[in-house]
Amino acid sequence: MEEKKRANPLCVIILVLLALIYFVPVLMMLLGSVKPQYQAARFDLSWPDEFLFTNYAEVIQTGKIWNGYKNSVLITVPATFCAVLFGAMAGICISRRNDGVAKKGYYYFIFGLTITLQIASTFSLLKFLNIYGSYFAVICLFIAIRLPFTIMTFCSFVKGVPREIDEAAIIDGCNPLQLFFRVLMPILKSVTLTNIIISAIDIWNNFMIPLFFLGSSQKWTIPLAVYNFFGRYSREWQHVFAVLTLTIMPMLILFAVLQKYIIGGMTSGAVKG
Amino acid sequence: MHSQSNKNIYPFWMLLPALAVYTVFTIVPVVISIALSFTDWNIERLYAPEWKGVSNFITLFQDDIFLRSIGNTLIFALFTTVLKTVGGLLLALALYKAFAGSGILRAVFYAPCALSVTVVGVLFKSILANDGLLNYALSMVNLGGLATNWLAEYGTALGSTIVVESWMWAGFNMFIFISALQAVPKDLYEYAEIEGASKTVTFFKITLPLIAPAMTTVVTLSVSGGLKVFDIIYVLTNGGPGFDTQVLSTYTYQSFSLGLLGESSAATVILSLIVVTISFILNRYLVEKEVRL
Repeated sequence: MEEKKRANPLCVIILVLLALIYFVPVLMMLLGSVKPQYQAARFDLSWPDEFLFTNYAEVIQTGKIWNGYKNSVLITVPATFCAVLFGAMAGICISRRNDGVAKKGYYYFIFGLTITLQIASTFSLLKFLNIYGSYFAVICLFIAIRLPFTIMTFCSFVKGVPREIDEAAIIDGCNPLQLFFRVLMPILKSVTLTNIIISAIDIWNNFMIPLFFLGSSQKWTIPLAVYNFFGRYSREWQHVFAVLTLTIMPMLILFAVLQKYIIGGMTSGAVKG
Repeated sequence: MHSQSNKNIYPFWMLLPALAVYTVFTIVPVVISIALSFTDWNIERLYAPEWKGVSNFITLFQDDIFLRSIGNTLIFALFTTVLKTVGGLLLALALYKAFAGSGILRAVFYAPCALSVTVVGVLFKSILANDGLLNYALSMVNLGGLATNWLAEYGTALGSTIVVESWMWAGFNMFIFISALQAVPKDLYEYAEIEGASKTVTFFKITLPLIAPAMTTVVTLSVSGGLKVFDIIYVLTNGGPGFDTQVLSTYTYQSFSLGLLGESSAATVILSLIVVTISFILNRYLVEKEVRL
């Protein structure tokens, strides 16, 4: 057994070198974010001639980064919450009823996994409903996009929960709402957590929907703010690097902390689905 | 009796919120797209489109740029799928058994796909630019002759976007493969060793058939993701140089920006048909192969 745990050294060296290649861009970004302009534009790994932490202060003032964070939170939190809640309710209902209608419903939702974004018709639909450019429209679109995957995973996980639990709860006098929130959701905690994390990452990082359907720059989310900042200040790489650091580092720290759940979730969803 | 009680315990209204949001914001746009792809719908006449039959589709198929973007989309999907799948599988094979530091290595390879595409795109612009990190590194090892403006040169732009996309997602596929590899019963490998099977034979006769379902998932996800690609192309090259990296999604967006809503809808319909058909056929084929293995 001992022997099996030792890895092939050549293999480990290759892996570490590969990991370094993954790390070099991040290092360049971190160093570049505190360099003076002439040095940052050289894109190398040299030590900064002087440490200019003022780069960050300048970026926070001009880059609308806080505004971007605020918008991202305002959109990601309600969209994730509703996508998981609606998806859980529908998934449990479909999986438990298991009759002809429920099966048709299942395929109706699963069809959504293959759908591509219909830019022109969605745009005019939002115009027609008079909600184009609002947080509400973008949140609804995100919920709709996340639902098929959420429903699919809830359906397959509910199958693993014995029906006897439901029956016992009903006999004890639970109504459907209590059964759902007090009995089933706590049992389904892992798949719920998974879906929350995957949905939040997906919505937070999504670039297309805010780009197409959030008109005003006041409402732009972080990915749009970064893209726009790059477009306007592409010659000031020290500032671009500072913006990138401000957006990447919180995600990487969150990723490191939640790693176990993120990885478990993303892959279990993909494999068991 | 049983189904009657089912209807009371799991009432239909539990389905309603999901059904309403999904129908209005996913299904209705698809229906509108299909209907209006046969009209001269444009931004000036938003509410009075006129029936034009299949002329939008004919215009599209006579447009060299559109045909080019179909080709680019297929090339992008094919090569990213191969790179992501093979890369992910190799990483998984190297890392599925735990050793000191394997957790950190896995996390490093996985991390890119938790980042926003714009962030990755902007970072790679600084790496692939004419005076960027890659060319600097090439000149350091005396390969300066290979240096080029990777994202702006004809010939290298599409390849560069393919590599960046694969870099982002290989780690994700690695984790799907790792969980499949860990589920392979260990005694099978022991039997193989006792029988004197070589490593290559063991891999092709035992490992590969047993992780076939994971392969199906990875390939199907990668192909449909590749066909739908928009953001990485938009951020890195925006379809350029010329129309070298124009794919169907960016084409759709451009005709939408020009106000040609009918034509844009027709292009979306074609893209959707391609995605659904290819994903469906591929999935069928791979699942059938799984059974035979």
